[in-house]
Amino acid sequence: MMVLGLGLVLFGHYSVAGTPVIEIEIKDHLFFPATIEIPANTKVKLLVINRDPTAEEFESYELNREKVISGNRKAVIFIGPLPPGEYPFFGEFYPKTAQGKVVVIDQ
Amino acid sequence: MTPQPLRFSRCLPLLTLLCVSISNYSMADGSVVDKIYHPYVDALEQELEFRAIHQDDQPEAEDNLQLYRFGYGRAFGDSWFGEVYLIGEKSDDTGFKLEAYELEAKWQITEQGEYWADWGLLMELEKESHENIWEFSTGILIEKEWGQWSGTANLVVTQEWGSDIKDEIESSAGLQMRYRLSRWLEPALEFYTGQDTRAIGPALMGNIKTGIRKRLHWETGLIFGIDEDSPNMTLRALIEYEF
Repeated sequence: MMVLGLGLVLFGHYSVAGTPVIEIEIKDHLFFPATIEIPANTKVKLLVINRDPTAEEFESYELNREKVISGNRKAVIFIGPLPPGEYPFFGEFYPKTAQGKVVVIDQ
Repeated sequence: MTPQPLRFSRCLPLLTLLCVSISNYSMADGSVVDKIYHPYVDALEQELEFRAIHQDDQPEAEDNLQLYRFGYGRAFGDSWFGEVYLIGEKSDDTGFKLEAYELEAKWQITEQGEYWADWGLLMELEKESHENIWEFSTGILIEKEWGQWSGTANLVVTQEWGSDIKDEIESSAGLQMRYRLSRWLEPALEFYTGQDTRAIGPALMGNIKTGIRKRLHWETGLIFGIDEDSPNMTLRALIEYEF
């Protein structure tokens, strides 16, 4: 437990500065852009801006993420580091239209 | 609206103290095999929950002890989730009875994936219905993702007080290693430790989507005691309707 306590202190000072930021907009229940390319094995910060007046939820089992973005608000979602591949995501409130994917590219 | 990194820094001394404290007190009694909590809050979510625990023979405990929890919970903002429970109990010696009430609050401290691990805090206040016994628990929730594997730790310190119990501080821990096979089925291995219990066993869980932002989450586990003081076997089951 002492080790865990020490670990807490160390992780608390871990910085995420330098994490690439990618903006995604939700408008008319669509994601813009719908396809996002990110480098492999790199943590990325998604800044999701909801331009619609209604809430939407960014959901992806493949990315292991669920995040509600209230209407006319924004939210941050961290993804990765990920191996190369395609990772679909969708809007839980409007799944028929709000669809997209993260393409992880080996550079 | 997003949990801020600064919050994590602010609560570090508390978290560190709690972790160190766990090593300094006796281990918790009672049934420590239960749900493993994840340090996440889904905004706007409400849920109805039913949990059942059935443990067979254990020294110092009633035979075939069954514990039931019925709960209603909802999110408050992006970082908090509150739930109220009614707790029932049944055994070979007693019929079903309402045993306790509980209030629970969960705080998502860090954004998922932001740091090396994800952190949350759990607080529970329980009152026995027929006795003057109170319990207040504080738990640190930690989750770490390795590809399709997720490891979760719940480290809990409980204080008991009241005229019908000797005041004491106890601790317990639950660990889970889960493989995210599919949204419908995820196998896991769970380990629990507390006073009179050291147990390990497999669990299965998954989600069944029933509509837009509506789903059933289910879990079941068969947990085997690994020392003489532990129940030989504990069956746990959970079903949540999330909406």
